[in-house]
Amino acid sequence: MTGPILRGLILALTLLFLIGPFFIIVAAALSAGQSLAFPPDGLSLRWFIKVFEVESFRTSFAVSMSLAIFGTLTALLLGIPAAYALHRYPIPGAEAIRLTLSTPIIVPGLIVGLALLRYLVIPTGIGIYAALFLAHTALVLPYAVRVVSASLANLRSDIEEAALLLGATRTGAFLRVVLPNIRGGVLAAFILGFVTSFNQVPVSLFLSGPGVRTLPIDMIAYMEITYDPSVAALSALLALMSVGIVFAAERTLGFSRYV
Amino acid sequence: MSDHLSLEDVTIAYGQTVAVEALDLAVADGELVTLLGPSGCGKTTTMRAIAGLVSIRSGRIELAGRDITRVPPSRRGVGLVFQSYALFPHLNVFENVAFGLRLAGTSDLRRRVEAGLATVGLSDFAGRPVAALSGGQQQRVALARSLVMEPALLLLDEPLSNLDARLRLDMRTELQRLQRETGVTMIFVTHDQGEALALSDRIVVMRDGRIEQIGTPEEIWSRPISGFVADFVGFEVIVPEGDGALAWRPSAVALGAGPHRGRVVGTAFAGERREIVLESPLGRIKAETAATAPPHALGTELAFDLPRERAVRLARVG
Repeated sequence: MTGPILRGLILALTLLFLIGPFFIIVAAALSAGQSLAFPPDGLSLRWFIKVFEVESFRTSFAVSMSLAIFGTLTALLLGIPAAYALHRYPIPGAEAIRLTLSTPIIVPGLIVGLALLRYLVIPTGIGIYAALFLAHTALVLPYAVRVVSASLANLRSDIEEAALLLGATRTGAFLRVVLPNIRGGVLAAFILGFVTSFNQVPVSLFLSGPGVRTLPIDMIAYMEITYDPSVAALSALLALMSVGIVFAAERTLGFSRYV
Repeated sequence: MSDHLSLEDVTIAYGQTVAVEALDLAVADGELVTLLGPSGCGKTTTMRAIAGLVSIRSGRIELAGRDITRVPPSRRGVGLVFQSYALFPHLNVFENVAFGLRLAGTSDLRRRVEAGLATVGLSDFAGRPVAALSGGQQQRVALARSLVMEPALLLLDEPLSNLDARLRLDMRTELQRLQRETGVTMIFVTHDQGEALALSDRIVVMRDGRIEQIGTPEEIWSRPISGFVADFVGFEVIVPEGDGALAWRPSAVALGAGPHRGRVVGTAFAGERREIVLESPLGRIKAETAATAPPHALGTELAFDLPRERAVRLARVG
């Protein structure tokens, strides 16, 4: 009976591989020493406290938060109608549109970042925040379209017709009948978009500039100068935040159905 | 008498495909008319055009003296009970029925919803989520939801097809009662001739986007005009004659004696009777005997007669 044992071992190793780094980061963050090290040099919470004292972390956290929230909301505002139109009408070239909408996921972030810098930011001279906002919205849009499409596919289209015959306008039918029935998918898209935007590095790397940085970029910059465990503490906090959001989403609406 | 609903020269097409061609139909106030035909005959398309869910290429639709050809579905005053019921999954029974009334800003909403639920016998279900209801109950909700709007016309798309045999009979009786009580004009779409015959004031038999025959159930049942309609109402033995044809029901075929001969190629026990298929120079002939009669072995040669007095005359073979 080696089968079950072998399977158990493979499972354990896979899990270790997936979540091991997280534990190493948490352990390193709990260190009492001055530099980032594993195993930790004594135990303390001082680096977790330090995180909140670093001014640049606070401002870049605010930048990342607002990008994640407003970028994702904008992506949903564009993505929900797009998903609906693709689902509902026989649009010529629908497949091409779907593919184009996915390119921000497929094309490597470094290329997207460089391209945006070279062909959007430099020629137009738009502000750093505006550039970041546009980039994050574009990056999140594919998720919005995809996840909302998945929940639209599970929705019968005749309920819209029923609403029309009961006196609703087309817009009214969408707002009163379609939207309430895909709210789980919309929320899932929001969470997925939020997490994607918040953790985004390569594109933000090119677009961040003086005074405006996202949190991950700020962490990289911080590490180049100060090699203390506060970055590990911050990473642990961010990972916990992501896990918390996804966990809450899974519990309330079965997040994994949509992703 | 002026017509309550009239379709004049209505043609509906999707791209190059003509689904309904030059259709004329008039329905009187309070009438229950069935659109009957196999799938693809245009009956559902016609119904959807009356509801405004598909636009017509040419022609004119009038309802209660008003030209509704270009009126959007929300303002036609037409109710539709969908085959799948199309209840709103996020709303409970009460809110489903209240949906249209809320949009219309009805003042005595609660009273009307309750009256609607009482009409279909679901007063105790107002607070239930619709997913918790059986198919038959969901259909009653769908009916109530349409009826509370007091539509000038109620369309029903295959309303009995998703119900089991027993419920189907209940619902048939229920629909007849609702129509008596509310007096609403109904158009009923089905492919089941039994339902059509049992329910309708008049039946419209459709075929390939055109009307094949219009008549009362008795007329359709006893005087089909073409082989297509005849076959639909059980005249399964059709023999060409002159420029038309003669048709018999299997029960009218007399076995054992007569001028024709055929070989038994199939038999089936069907409860009260036994069905027999004969291969003969006239083609395949379907006949019946009483179930108590001794069965005929396959391959047996049998004489049979097609009595003229029991035939109907058809204008066309097909």
